[in-house]
Formats: sequence, structure tokens, C-alpha cells
Amino acid sequence: MLATWKYRPRDTFIQSLDPRTRLIFLFCVIFGLSIPQIWDYRIIVPIFALSLTLYFIARIEWIDVRRAWIFIIVLVIFIVGLNALLSGRGGPPSVLQTQSPTLFEVQFYIPGTKLGFTVPITIIKLWFAIVQITRMLTMAILVIPIPYTMDPNIYGVAFRRMGVSDKISFAMDLAFRFLPTFARDFATTVDAQRARGYELETLKGGIAAKLRRLAPLIIPVVMQATVTGEDVIDAMDLRAFDTNKRTWIKELHYSSRDQIMLGLGVSIFVACCLLKWVFGIGGFFVPRFFFALFGY
Amino acid sequence: MSEAPLIVEKLSFQYRTRPELAIENISFELRPGEMLLIAGSSGCGKTTLARCINGLIPRSYGGKRKGQVLINNKDVAEFPLAEVAQIVGTLLQDPERQIVASNVYNEIAFGPENLGLPSEEIVERIEMAMQRLKIGYLRERETFSLSGGEKQKVALAGVLAMKPSILLLDEPLSSLDPASAYEALDIFRSLADEGKTVLLIEHRVETAIAARPDRLMYMEDGQVKYMGPIKRLPKVIDHKKVKLPADWIVERVKRQKNPHIPLSRPEVKERGETMVSFENVAFRYSDENPFVLQNVNLEISHGDLIAVLGQNGAGKSTLVKHAIGLLKPTQGKVLVGGQDTRNMSVAHIANIIGFVFQSPSHMLYAPTVREELEFGPINLDFTKEQVHKTVTESMTTLNLNSLEEYPPLGLSFGQQKRTTIAAVLAMRTKIMVMDEPTSGQDYANYTHFMDTMCYPEVHDDSILSVNYAATLFITHDLDLAITYANRVLLVGEGTIVADGAPEDVLKDFKLLERCRIRPTSLLNLNLSLLPKTGGFMPAEDLAAFT
Repeated sequence: MLATWKYRPRDTFIQSLDPRTRLIFLFCVIFGLSIPQIWDYRIIVPIFALSLTLYFIARIEWIDVRRAWIFIIVLVIFIVGLNALLSGRGGPPSVLQTQSPTLFEVQFYIPGTKLGFTVPITIIKLWFAIVQITRMLTMAILVIPIPYTMDPNIYGVAFRRMGVSDKISFAMDLAFRFLPTFARDFATTVDAQRARGYELETLKGGIAAKLRRLAPLIIPVVMQATVTGEDVIDAMDLRAFDTNKRTWIKELHYSSRDQIMLGLGVSIFVACCLLKWVFGIGGFFVPRFFFALFGY
Repeated sequence: MSEAPLIVEKLSFQYRTRPELAIENISFELRPGEMLLIAGSSGCGKTTLARCINGLIPRSYGGKRKGQVLINNKDVAEFPLAEVAQIVGTLLQDPERQIVASNVYNEIAFGPENLGLPSEEIVERIEMAMQRLKIGYLRERETFSLSGGEKQKVALAGVLAMKPSILLLDEPLSSLDPASAYEALDIFRSLADEGKTVLLIEHRVETAIAARPDRLMYMEDGQVKYMGPIKRLPKVIDHKKVKLPADWIVERVKRQKNPHIPLSRPEVKERGETMVSFENVAFRYSDENPFVLQNVNLEISHGDLIAVLGQNGAGKSTLVKHAIGLLKPTQGKVLVGGQDTRNMSVAHIANIIGFVFQSPSHMLYAPTVREELEFGPINLDFTKEQVHKTVTESMTTLNLNSLEEYPPLGLSFGQQKRTTIAAVLAMRTKIMVMDEPTSGQDYANYTHFMDTMCYPEVHDDSILSVNYAATLFITHDLDLAITYANRVLLVGEGTIVADGAPEDVLKDFKLLERCRIRPTSLLNLNLSLLPKTGGFMPAEDLAAFT
């Protein structure tokens, strides 16, 4: 059986919005930053501030989202940020092509040998890492509240009322609930293996050995996920899913605040596109104050 | 042309991946309002027959089908699945496998919505189904937060909302506590009385006959061995294969030519040293949540063979998770071997207490049974010689030697269950804890398993008493407690409401009712014969006292 996220009804502006409004606003911000390739902090920072404001007015308890934030912070800072800082890839080509003063160098050598290389950390790479992290966080801040503040009963109908097919709408509904189900099965498996003396904290050996030692957790969870998937398919077949055009009894209605938020979302998307493609504003550059910060 | 809504004619089926027939040459007819009980052990073909009737065969499961299943005089294979679903409503063994929506209202609406009915009609059907099963108070609840009995009713409401004329109920009682099971049977009976044709697949015949089925079909190895009225059942069916009422077993044993030789009862030894103790334990998952356990005081001592009984959600699993350190008390303390579990890691406690989870699929991962069994001892830093010795002994004990090189995930459910118990046995802990050791197994398999574990064989000692200082098992099956335990814990409303010898605890029917436990025929017979027997025993053994 699929579990759901820790949703609870709250009397907040965010939860008073139609779910479609929230999804469309999210898509507007993601596509507004990604399609025209916005790397200009003067555009990103206001959108980041808006996302942050919406996050805080959602009034989500820290204890509920703590794990999600740890995951996002690890992902954004350690993976995206370090990649941007060390390699400078994943962004506009100008990060690698432009000459920039080096702040310091990171040595990657096999200890006791001369095998390896040196990576210069330049001002431009450092700025790029900061901008990249801010862009990613802007999107993440909008995504994280959704499962905690959107009624799980309207995932599917929200997509359907946005014109998506019955099959894909229900698939989205199930996909939303897959992660908490996976987490529940994982927790049970961890308990079952710990009761057999298995300690995750004391995994010994190199990377390959550590991965092998994770098998007692990974294999049962994958098997559970497969069985759950098959169960869901059988249960849906037995109740005639995807054999007729489906009726969705839940009605959704836009209110004036939805229209305002939709207007704001669409404006952000259009403004990003216009600024970049018509006025040539929004590309990557390092502001003067950042050079000045390091005495250049 | 027959008026029977369901006709099965010379039906055989062979799965594409299996060399043998799953069911062979099955024929029967059912009238409107008739209830047929289908019984048989695991693998006898009950589920395959159900899949042939609800249309999953041939659509979702490939293979060779012969004969036909006629629904309203038309072969099920000729119907689109949407049409079959409107005629044959299927309730699966585990409601958790059936529920797809996240709240009750949407779950009941799911089927009618798929049929594309107008919204007004869907709402009408939802209200009808909720009213019929008296679950209107659940309408806004999240499905994953429901109790086992509530889930079963919601799943049934989802089926009834499709307005089927035939109900196919596949082991619908297996995850329910006794009181919920009898409530469910009352509902099935009333649905048959309203004119629905009901197929009730259930191996617990003793419980299922409370629904007063019109006929019984007994299957073995894919074939029908008996089809007829319930009253002839004790004469034709071996009571070791399906669970029959205690007085029927006594009658049958008395008629046997060869006298029944009772197994030696597990000796009730004087209780020894305390190994685990709960001192004023209370527990809740977070400050916002209510207490799940409160005021729990308990000692587990050398020689205990404890059955933990209680309704779904009473706190039984939470209680034993405290003993193995997976949960730490919010208030009070749990001592294992004299040490507070707050100061012990789960791995450390695993040296003392072995815990077998309810579902083998949460434990099994290794490529072979031997490697699966080696996992625990290696984690506990046994030497190579010790690992080899304990694993070999455990495999022999649980009769797994022939499966040593098999992948555990490819074994049958019963074999998987035995593998998980052998895996814990190989850890050589002092206490064995089992969560629903008989769940998912048929009567013949689980009585064989429990007899092997609990009853002395050649010597005076059983597998459990040789290997463990104490054993504790959680169960919904009252007869399991009567037959195998020397101590019963009744758990209700988050605390222990009774603790003592089965003969003392289980005679208090008011207390049992409060804990939603329904007295069985075996309990009634044992209580009536207690002055003669001096202790509880299995139905076969009671024959000598009647």
C-alpha cells in the first residue's frame, strides 16, 4: 500500500491556492530560469527572495521538512556547488573561457605519488558556484513545500484538470506517493537488518566493499517496490482503470488570488524570456563588487 | 440456457512458467444469493481459480487455459475487463494490496470513476457503499492510517461501489483480528442474503463457517476433492489440512481406527531468572502524538513461552520493538540482561534477542540460503568455525538442507518464513521473538511449523527450549496461544491488560471481548474439560477426555 507525505491542513495563503496554480507557478519559475538560461544575479536574487517569502508563509514545521532540507542541501552544496566550483561546468561557456584571477589551488594527487592534477579556483568559478546554488535553491524552495502543503487526494486531479491524460495524471499521483512509501519500506528493512546485528554506521572496507555491504538494505527495498508496483497494477485492473474515459468527481476552482499568482508566475517567465532574448540581459557575468571583495 | 450467473466448466490452467497444471478440470455452478466456501492449503489452486473468474487470467497472467468460465452465459475471456469488473467484484487477501487512493472517499470512488459514470451517480454509489458497511465516519480519513479491519471494509466498499453481482473474496480474513474477522463474515452473509453470489476463499474453515456458506469446495493439488454441504465436511476432510471446529476434530479422532498419540506438551518449568524487564514504560512517536504504550510493566523470564494477543493497533509490535531496542521508551525503562536499552545498540541487543519480522521480504537479500543464514552470525563477529556450525545446525533444524544453495527470494512463502527463522536461530541468541509467525501460511504448514518448534520430539526438549531461554510470539490466532504458549499477554489500549497462564487469562470472556478477541471452539472445549485435563491442549488430545 502506498503511503503519503506528512500533509496537514493549515490556514495559510499557500494552502488556499488551487493546486494547479502552485504547479503552474513552479513551472513558470523553473522554465523562466532554465529555458532562457538566466545567470544574472540581479534577476535571480529577487525571484529567490519571492520563493523564500512563499516558503515562510507556508508555515511548515521544521521537524517535518528537516530530512528533505538535509537532502537538498547536500545535493545543492556538495554536488552542484562543488562541481561548479571545481570544474566550472554545467553552466554558460564563459565560465571556462574567460580569464580570471586565481584565488587558490586545490591539489588532487594520489598520496605519495606525482599522479594527479591541480585545479585553480578562480573568482569567476566561485561566483558561478554561488549563482548556481542560488538558482537551484530558488527552485527547491518552491518544490519542498508541495508534498507537505498539498492534499495528497488532489495530486491526480490537479494534473487532469491541467489537461494531462487520465493515465499520466494517475501515474503522477502514484509517483508523488512512491517516495514516502519507499522511505517506509526502507525504514522497516533497516530495522529488520539491525535486529540481525547489522550496523550501517560501521561499514568497513573500500567503496566497493561498502556498496556490497549495502545489499541487505537495497535488495529487500527494491523487491518490495517491485511487488508493490505489481499489486497496484492488479488492483487498478480489477477496478477497470484505463478502460473508459474516466470521471474525476473532484472539482477545482480558481479564485482571484489564484489569478494573481498565475499572473505573477507567467510574468516571471515572460520577463525572463524578454530580458534575455530581446534586451540581452540575464547572461552570466561577475559583478564588480565581487572582484573588489578579493582586492581586484 | 442456465440462469446461474457463474458457471465454471471443465476449467484447467497452466502458467506459462510452470510445468504442471495449476488447476485441473474444475466444474461448478453458482446461483444468485448462494455462498460457496473454497478451502484448501497453499498452492492448491484457489488463487488461480479466482484469477480465472475475475478475468486477470488470461489478461494479466499468461498460460494455457482449457474449459470456460461463464458469467451470465458469456465466457469471461470475451468480456472487456471493465465489464467483468462490474459483474465480479474481487476483494484481495490483503486490503493493503487493494487500496490505491490516499483517502477513503477517493478509494471508494476509484472504480465508478474508472467506469466514466456521471458524478451524481458516483456520489450516490459511494454513499450507498458507506452506508451499507457503516463506515461513513471514515470518509475523510487517510487510507494508510486505518486499522486492518477498517482497511478491509474500505476495500470492500470500493468493490461494492462497482455494484457487482458476484463477489470474489480471496482470503479476506487473514489480516484481521478475530472480532473484525467475524464482523466481516456477517457482512458477507448479509450480501449473499441480498442476492449477491459470493465465493469465499478461506483456509480457516472454522472461522469461515460462521458466514453460513451454502456449500464448500475443497481443493488439493489443483483439483476439487470435495464439493457439497458443510455438515459432511468432518467425514471427508483431514482436520490436519484445514482448520475445523474443535468438536468436529474430536468426533473425527474418536472415529479413527488408529488411536491418536498426543504429542508431549511443552513442559511448564518453574520460571527462572528475569532476562528482560519493562519498568513503567510509556512511548509516543513525537510530542504531538498520543501515547502508543502506557504504564507497561513486564518481566520476561527463563522458561517463558509467551503468546502476545490483542486487536490490530493495540501496541503489540511497539511493545516487542522496545525489547529489541528498535524503539526507546519515552518514559520508564526497558532492561535487557540488566542493562538499560537506551545505553545499548540494536546490534548489541541482537546478541541476546533474536527478532523475526512478520514479512520475510524485509529481511531476505542473499544469493543463497546459506549466505542468508551467515549474515547474522558474521555481524555478531562469530568465528568462521562458529558461523559454519550454527548455520549448518539451523538449516538442519528448520529442514532447509536441500535448499542450501537456493536463492531465498525464489522460495515459497512458507520456505521463506522458515529461512528467516533459521537466520535468527543461527545467531544463537537467548530469546526468540516472532511477529505473527504463522501469517501468510496455511493451516497445515503453520501447525507443522509450530509443532516442530514448540513440541518435544525424541528427547524431552523442543527446538525452542533447547535453543532459547525464552520465546515470545505475537499472534491473532487464539488457538495458537492455547496450543503452544505457557503464558499469555493480553495487550489492549497501549498497555498490558492481563498476564498469566493461558488457563487463567483466557477464561475471562469479558476481558477477551474488550480486547476484541473472540473465544474459539477450542477455547470453549478446553474450558469445559479443564477440570479433567488440568491444562489446555490441542483438539486431537481432548478426544481422550470426552
